[in-house]
Amino acid sequence: MGVYIAKRLAASAVTALLTSIVVFLLVRSVPGDVVGQMLGQTSDPVAAKALREFFGLDQPVWRQYANWLGRVLAGDFGTSWTRGQPVMGMVGSALGVTIQLAAATLVLATAIGVPLGILAAIYEGRAPDRIVQAFNLLGLAAPVFWIGLMLLVGMSSSFDWSPPLMYVPLHESVSENLSIIALPVLSLALLQAAAYSQFVRQSIVSALGQDYVRTAVAKGLSTRTVFFRHLLRNIGIPLVTFMGLILIQILGGAVIIESLFALPGLGRLLLSSIETRDYPVLQAGLLVVVVIAMLVNLVVDLSYRIIDPRVRLS
Amino acid sequence: MTRFDIPGAIDRRAFLAFGGLAVAAAVIGPAGAAELYGPKPTGAKTGGTLNMGLLVEPPGLDPFHQAADARIRLTVLIYQGLFYESPEGTAMPLLAEGFDLSGDRLVYTVRLRKGVKFHTGQPMTAKDVAYSYNYIRDPKNGSPGAGDFAMITAVEAVDDATVKITISAPNAALPMTLGNKYGGVVPAGYFDDPEAKTKLNQASVGTGPFKLSEFKPNSNATLVRNPDYWEPGVPYLDRINFIFVPNAASLLVGLRNKRIDIATLARPQDVKQVEGVAGLTVERKPSFNQKAIDLGAELKPLDDERVRRAIALAVDKDEIMRASIGGLGNVIGTMVAGMQDSWGAPADKLANQKVDIAAAKKLLAEAGHPDGFDLTLTTIIGYDWMDAAGVILREQLGKVGIRLAIQRVELGVWVKNFQSKQMGFTFNDWATVPDPNLLFYRHFHKAPEGADFRNWKNDAASKLLDEGRVESDPAKRRDIYVRYQQVMAESVPTIMLFSADHVVVRGQKVQNYDQHPTGWYYGLARTWIS
Repeated sequence: MGVYIAKRLAASAVTALLTSIVVFLLVRSVPGDVVGQMLGQTSDPVAAKALREFFGLDQPVWRQYANWLGRVLAGDFGTSWTRGQPVMGMVGSALGVTIQLAAATLVLATAIGVPLGILAAIYEGRAPDRIVQAFNLLGLAAPVFWIGLMLLVGMSSSFDWSPPLMYVPLHESVSENLSIIALPVLSLALLQAAAYSQFVRQSIVSALGQDYVRTAVAKGLSTRTVFFRHLLRNIGIPLVTFMGLILIQILGGAVIIESLFALPGLGRLLLSSIETRDYPVLQAGLLVVVVIAMLVNLVVDLSYRIIDPRVRLS
Repeated sequence: MTRFDIPGAIDRRAFLAFGGLAVAAAVIGPAGAAELYGPKPTGAKTGGTLNMGLLVEPPGLDPFHQAADARIRLTVLIYQGLFYESPEGTAMPLLAEGFDLSGDRLVYTVRLRKGVKFHTGQPMTAKDVAYSYNYIRDPKNGSPGAGDFAMITAVEAVDDATVKITISAPNAALPMTLGNKYGGVVPAGYFDDPEAKTKLNQASVGTGPFKLSEFKPNSNATLVRNPDYWEPGVPYLDRINFIFVPNAASLLVGLRNKRIDIATLARPQDVKQVEGVAGLTVERKPSFNQKAIDLGAELKPLDDERVRRAIALAVDKDEIMRASIGGLGNVIGTMVAGMQDSWGAPADKLANQKVDIAAAKKLLAEAGHPDGFDLTLTTIIGYDWMDAAGVILREQLGKVGIRLAIQRVELGVWVKNFQSKQMGFTFNDWATVPDPNLLFYRHFHKAPEGADFRNWKNDAASKLLDEGRVESDPAKRRDIYVRYQQVMAESVPTIMLFSADHVVVRGQKVQNYDQHPTGWYYGLARTWIS
């Protein structure tokens, strides 16, 4: 297992390195740069040249990359070109917001989605199933910004309440933080819960027709035991895979909800650094997204073995 | 020697010494007109926090290297130049107290305000002023203001309270150039630290009424009152939270629920949602901005003046204005709305302002396009007014046979095209400080003196711009700029469509906020909370 993890991490490092090259070239292929953005319409060519030198943009791309990589390997992601703050601090605090958002969403979506899916599967084809299916359809069809907007406007017109717009981290004020992230989490969770419950329902329904379930029932096991010991365990692997996918999706796709609710998360940080061509932030931020995606996948793969000891990791 | 002073601040000794040489004793600004930063309130209370919602986040807070208007709006409260751009179009003394101008009008001897301290606590002297302006004007330091300061040949500290500024040719706009758009006075040697540029986003080193407290990306910029501020008794607010809300829907909900005390809005549909809401006041103020159609002569057939005139004759500015900003502005001729009274040419003296389809078709036929031609209009993503305006413009130009395609580009791409003088046929959205030289010269004077972004290459216009820059007599200067505007209206390098009003929405507790026509938040230095 240890060897397996080490191998996977090494492979991830190579992937991250390759990704960083792609990202580096990609962000530079977008027309315009930070200097054009800083100097605006009335820029002076001499001033522009001076600033390009200051940022090292006058160097060949390969040398810019080598310089950047050298510093990153030494643990220094540099300073934001437009904000003047250390990139690590900026990405770190933005990541904290997005991780909180993703974790809370995952918990809430699981808490809503899994029971609904089980309920629908048990009552397959009957009224509870129909209601759950309707909920799923709505959740899967409605765009997240629409759900968010409806919650926002609905809360405002019904209760004259809207979330605070200036973000406060959890460790500074729990109540303030929760009142800020409640609506965005709910918006994301409703959508993910629908996907979840649809998935769980589908898995259980198809598992119910399997031989092992029939055997378990035939040998006189209680419904409870059949369900929790045999059935849930068997749908565990696809379920965990699904959770991993959802987590990555939230991490990468939170930008819309972050913009709607003015949350200083990673998605919004990436978006604003694309707009200002703040390459150091952009490169570090994208790299972090890639690394997290790989780590989540690794954890998902490792959990297969815990769920099903027959799985061999190699 | 001509002397410029604010009333009541005349240094008698200096006045007598130079009196014999005086050409005319002049006072800047109409007596008793504008007040610094807006009207002073009566019965104002000190204290409290104001939450201002911003739809556009400043990309940085460095006044020396960041040109974005979203930056200037905030930093005018933190950094100060020698003069203040009063809404009436005069340069009012700010860190300056007044100045003497030499007979050849090339040397400005500026007397500095006394008792000014930086946010760092150290007192401001002439050395700091000279350092700051010398830093900006050296293009090697990378300031977007370098171009505006190119006419300055030397800035020297004479003594602690006097600075001598020498320029290469007489320039009536110099005081206005020494305003607050770029730079400001910072302690001498500030930029010696290689990290200094980026540190301006963390701690402020200006002389303004507010200091920077924190700047969190995608969240907020917070300013706190400068306890050492040189004007007695102001500012009134303890703290201003500029909260970045990238989404109009959340901003409007925030205004209704008092999460946000004040905001400026641009889209008519947003303004409609807060009009008539209990507890919110909506105010409109004229602006110095312009929404325009630019016609880059590098794009054929826009190099043909007849084609450009035909386009101007096909454009119904009022229709575009109503469609794109719902009437929250003023149609303009060749001058931004806020400067029309002081510098604008009368509408009846300008060519190509009224729609005339027959004349436009005739011009196109003469130019060899009897059946019209295909043309691509560039609009900028995120500038909402351009989307609606583009559709209307396509209809209007269709009437004279011009088939318009619309291409939406991202701002960075657009700026790159603009700077490399490849703007083609595009909408533009820009603003000025209240001086005609600063409005027109760089944009429309032929190269190399001007940037001539539209490849206009017009000799007559350039000559008038040179004359207007030198002329100091207000009446004569106005006459020159009226003639310049006539040339511009006739030759059509640009079609200035309208100036959008600044629409301010504020809660009831916000008192005495006066929106400056530049769109900058000077007024917060006079705002108080009841």
